[in-house]
Amino acid sequence: MIKVGIPRGLLFYDYGSLWSDFFTKLGVPTITSSETTKKTLTDGTNLAIDESCLPLKIFLGHVHALLNECTHIFVPRIAQHHKDYYYCAKFAGLPDIVRNSFNIDERRLISPNIESKNLYHTFKACREAANCLDASPIKSYLSYLHALHEYKNTQNLSCKNKDTFVAVVGHSYLLHEPFFIQEIKNVLSAQGMKIATPDQVPPKTLYELSAELHPEVYWQLSAKIVGAAQYFCALPNIKGILVISSFGCGPDSLINEYIDNLILKPSGKPYTFVNLDEHTGNAGIVTRVEAFLDLIEWRQ
Amino acid sequence: MKVVYPHMGYLNIPINHMLNSLDISYVPTPRITKRTVEIGSLHSPESVCLPYKLTLGNLLEGIDAGANCLVTICGAGKCRLGFYNTVQKISVSKVMSEPFSFYAINTSTGLFNSLYNFLRKASPRSSRITIAYSIAKAIKMLKAIDTMNDAKNYYGPRSSNPELLIDIYKTNVTKLDKCQSFKEIEHIKDQTLELMRSCADETMKPLKVGLLGEFYVVVEPYVNFEIEDTLVKLGVEVKRLVSTADWAYAQTLLRALKLYNEETEHLDGARPYMNYHVGGEGLKTASEALRCAKNGYDGIIHAYPFGCMPEVVSEYALKRITADFDLPMLALSLDEHSSGVGLTTRIEAFIDCLRRRKTQRIRKNAALL
Repeated sequence: MIKVGIPRGLLFYDYGSLWSDFFTKLGVPTITSSETTKKTLTDGTNLAIDESCLPLKIFLGHVHALLNECTHIFVPRIAQHHKDYYYCAKFAGLPDIVRNSFNIDERRLISPNIESKNLYHTFKACREAANCLDASPIKSYLSYLHALHEYKNTQNLSCKNKDTFVAVVGHSYLLHEPFFIQEIKNVLSAQGMKIATPDQVPPKTLYELSAELHPEVYWQLSAKIVGAAQYFCALPNIKGILVISSFGCGPDSLINEYIDNLILKPSGKPYTFVNLDEHTGNAGIVTRVEAFLDLIEWRQ
Repeated sequence: MKVVYPHMGYLNIPINHMLNSLDISYVPTPRITKRTVEIGSLHSPESVCLPYKLTLGNLLEGIDAGANCLVTICGAGKCRLGFYNTVQKISVSKVMSEPFSFYAINTSTGLFNSLYNFLRKASPRSSRITIAYSIAKAIKMLKAIDTMNDAKNYYGPRSSNPELLIDIYKTNVTKLDKCQSFKEIEHIKDQTLELMRSCADETMKPLKVGLLGEFYVVVEPYVNFEIEDTLVKLGVEVKRLVSTADWAYAQTLLRALKLYNEETEHLDGARPYMNYHVGGEGLKTASEALRCAKNGYDGIIHAYPFGCMPEVVSEYALKRITADFDLPMLALSLDEHSSGVGLTTRIEAFIDCLRRRKTQRIRKNAALL
């Protein structure tokens, strides 16, 4: 009995619904790993190379949890789908990382290679996915188109609102990871602050903003962060900007410096950076967020 | 306009030669010292990789020495290298009060074109042919340096006095600076090889170790604490599998002629441990490691800057390769806090292990016979 496991990590938070929809339409049952716990993180940390970034460690933890529960694991290689933007090295090597860390049978890994949005590459990726499951490539491609259509329709977004917000900016796999972000959200909402995240803005707006004002940024996920920082800085009802990043994130190490100097500082809004790592104790983060809230209050 | 560019191994000899021959005034980049590391790290984001900090330190020291045109490289990709220049420009503008120009040579659209355009701008009076000739000469020089280095690594451990060969290499490399033609470069290279060959006993079979990893860290002797010379002095043949000349050659000439196929070659070489390109030298590292494993190397040393994204991905593959082929590996993750003594101790211990393995294996084979 075929069952495809989808690890709850990295790009799952962006495209997870698309992926599981694709498999459902293809007639293949899926299982998503359960939410991150302390154990996921510990397992992932033990499996990973120390210097890997935190989200990758969590991802490996999720793969580990799924291995015994499914026949196949879905780990796509997403290197590029816009011609001007790249994903960072870990996305480009994700199937290889998983293969080398677990030494699993090649046939259990569904890892379509996504390098471009054009028809040829899309079809090829769908065929690769279908091959592992003994499905027809045409059916796979049609399922993908169908799933993509529905995925695009579900993205209704709104942020234009008279309320005041604190913008929380960062990679979606950090902002949607309750294990890390819940505490920060709790502190903010306890103080009556509403939260705005980049997901409430249409991605197109963010990418356009980034491409127009910051053409030198060439990572897809970073361009979104840069666009979001730029977007939120221009909104008068955003009271402050909290940038979340994680230990070992390569692009963030430079992009944070970049947005600090070119976007956040000139905007005059209160902002702070919070860096997460696997030793994260809540007290430290809570203190930093509270200090940040005090800062916003003083400014007013 | 006074040009300054960051250090990388012996790159300064051909580049200075090129700038001299085109009458471009430049500040000889001060050698990397502790101070370079300090001011580089001071103005860098904390968690960025080591080459960023050192190249920034180079540029800042160059500015102190009077430079006002900073030249580095850029190029979009998966690695951070392409974004260095953008953030370094921000850091430099914070320090620099006078106007300066910042020029990034783009490697992703073709190194030759980008370099050529820069030289045209910097030296408007030179003819096109002079510029193309000087670039070709610089690459030739780089190739000669690499060949001499390989020869030192090969003959050094086979001679009774490895230090002598290291000295020969160092003095002859600086002689290249005065060469005016291809012929002279060739002559110095041949002479050096001849001299080294005469010092060595080629029947000896020393330990053989592959040195691979990230470009900058492997090539720059300050960062890796002269790892190649250390190994040669220990009587170990070290094969450096990363070469500046091959890279420059592939990026300029071969790419211009559309013969550039390093990537596909390594794609085949790294299978099944790595199936895709991951930016930087990641794929190359895995494929070279696999080649070492299959070709009877006694061990490999993987050197990379702490947190290097592509090398960390390939480290996953290396772990598997070394386990599957029973190949000892020393992984050196270097940052600005690394100390020479610590590193040397680790290398010595690693070499001791390799020696013991080898003698044990010989003994076992003898017992079987």
